[in-house]
Amino acid sequence: MRRFRLAYRDPIRWLRLHRRSLWNSAIALGLFFAAFFFTQWWDLTIPAFGRGEYQAVFLANGQTYFGRYYDRIGAYAKIEDVYYLQQTAAADADKAPDTRLVRRGRELHAPSARMLVPKSAVLFIEDLSDASPIAQFMKQDRR
Amino acid sequence: MSLYEVERDPVRIAGRRLRWAARWVVLPLMAGVFLSANVDVRVLPAFGPERQTAVLLLDGQAYFGHLDDSGESGTLLLRDVYYFQSASGGVTGLAVGLVRRGSEAHEPADGMRINRDRVLALEQVGPSSAVAQAIGAQRQIARSSPALLSLNRTNAAPSQVVVAQRVAAEHDLQRGFVGAADQLAKLNELVLPISKTEAKLITDKALGDLRTVRRNGLAAIAAALGMPAADAQSYVTTTDRLLEGQTFANDVNVLLAPDLNGIVNSATQLYGQVGDSYAKQLTASRTVSPSPSAAPSPSPSASPSPTPTARP
Repeated sequence: MRRFRLAYRDPIRWLRLHRRSLWNSAIALGLFFAAFFFTQWWDLTIPAFGRGEYQAVFLANGQTYFGRYYDRIGAYAKIEDVYYLQQTAAADADKAPDTRLVRRGRELHAPSARMLVPKSAVLFIEDLSDASPIAQFMKQDRR
Repeated sequence: MSLYEVERDPVRIAGRRLRWAARWVVLPLMAGVFLSANVDVRVLPAFGPERQTAVLLLDGQAYFGHLDDSGESGTLLLRDVYYFQSASGGVTGLAVGLVRRGSEAHEPADGMRINRDRVLALEQVGPSSAVAQAIGAQRQIARSSPALLSLNRTNAAPSQVVVAQRVAAEHDLQRGFVGAADQLAKLNELVLPISKTEAKLITDKALGDLRTVRRNGLAAIAAALGMPAADAQSYVTTTDRLLEGQTFANDVNVLLAPDLNGIVNSATQLYGQVGDSYAKQLTASRTVSPSPSAAPSPSPSASPSPTPTARP
């Protein structure tokens, strides 16, 4: 309290007396916020080099999502710009069902482009080649 | 005289610098990373709208609510939970209806712990999505007040969303009525074991009962929206008159708030029961001589009142 009483009476002198502590506190605060926002931007993803632009992620329930897969520190992996195959019954019962590639986001809950998947639910991941029709469709759709 | 100077001892200098770095550099950096890894800035009151998460499970079920995934216990905590219930063949035109968790037979308290091993994916619910609007409308209907202190304050939908929901529920009630009336009309086109006069009498009685179901549905909507008794009466009369003769076949499908969805579901069930009951009377061969006075009296004369019956 004595310290702050002095700051109230003679702020210049107080600043001079505590300039070292103030300087250290400013550095600590700056570093804290830098680390905080860097981590938000980084999203704990683990960099992967030399991989394809898009991946197919096969999940434990048999579903497959296509998109940009990122491994992350922690329990979850991340898929961005998610697409999936949707099958609709053909008008003719004898014909095979129609299959379409659908961008995730138009469902009733309009999910954002970022999907977190527990690593325990992932069976395996494959890179899509540049010649893959699914990769080409996703590239065109993003434009 | 010793040449050793404490202040110039390189080991002491390095120790001093290390202590300074640990206190003013490493500690703030670690605190920033740790906090950021566990807190999403968008949930803070100053940033962005309410954050609702969709938890998709391996069995295909989807739950929506406020997610707390900060612990290391192997479970996720979901609060203020809503989920989809199959509604195929219903009058809303959607394959699913929204239900609020808590109305089941075991009346679970708020706070659902989900095994992380059973989770397929986590997604953020769009703030203007059909699910978010239905949840917001439900909060407005239930007049639930948000907690005073919360990092993720709940938002009730504006009144125009509730009005849109009410109108959609009215149209769903009418679509159910039209569906049941159409079935009766199709039955009347068949060769029936009763006379045309009898068939007409039965059909008129059935339509009267179906209108009663519709009116009770409207009354339930008025009660859910908290209309005073006098207003509710005039609302039911006016809306019932407006709905008569409409089909609303080309309406945009609206995901209803759970309370309104429950009312529509119950009314749809009652339409089915009333329709089936009169269909039996139309198609049953008589053993006694026909006379208009022997017209069958409908069993659902105990006026049906639709109430939500959500089940998991």
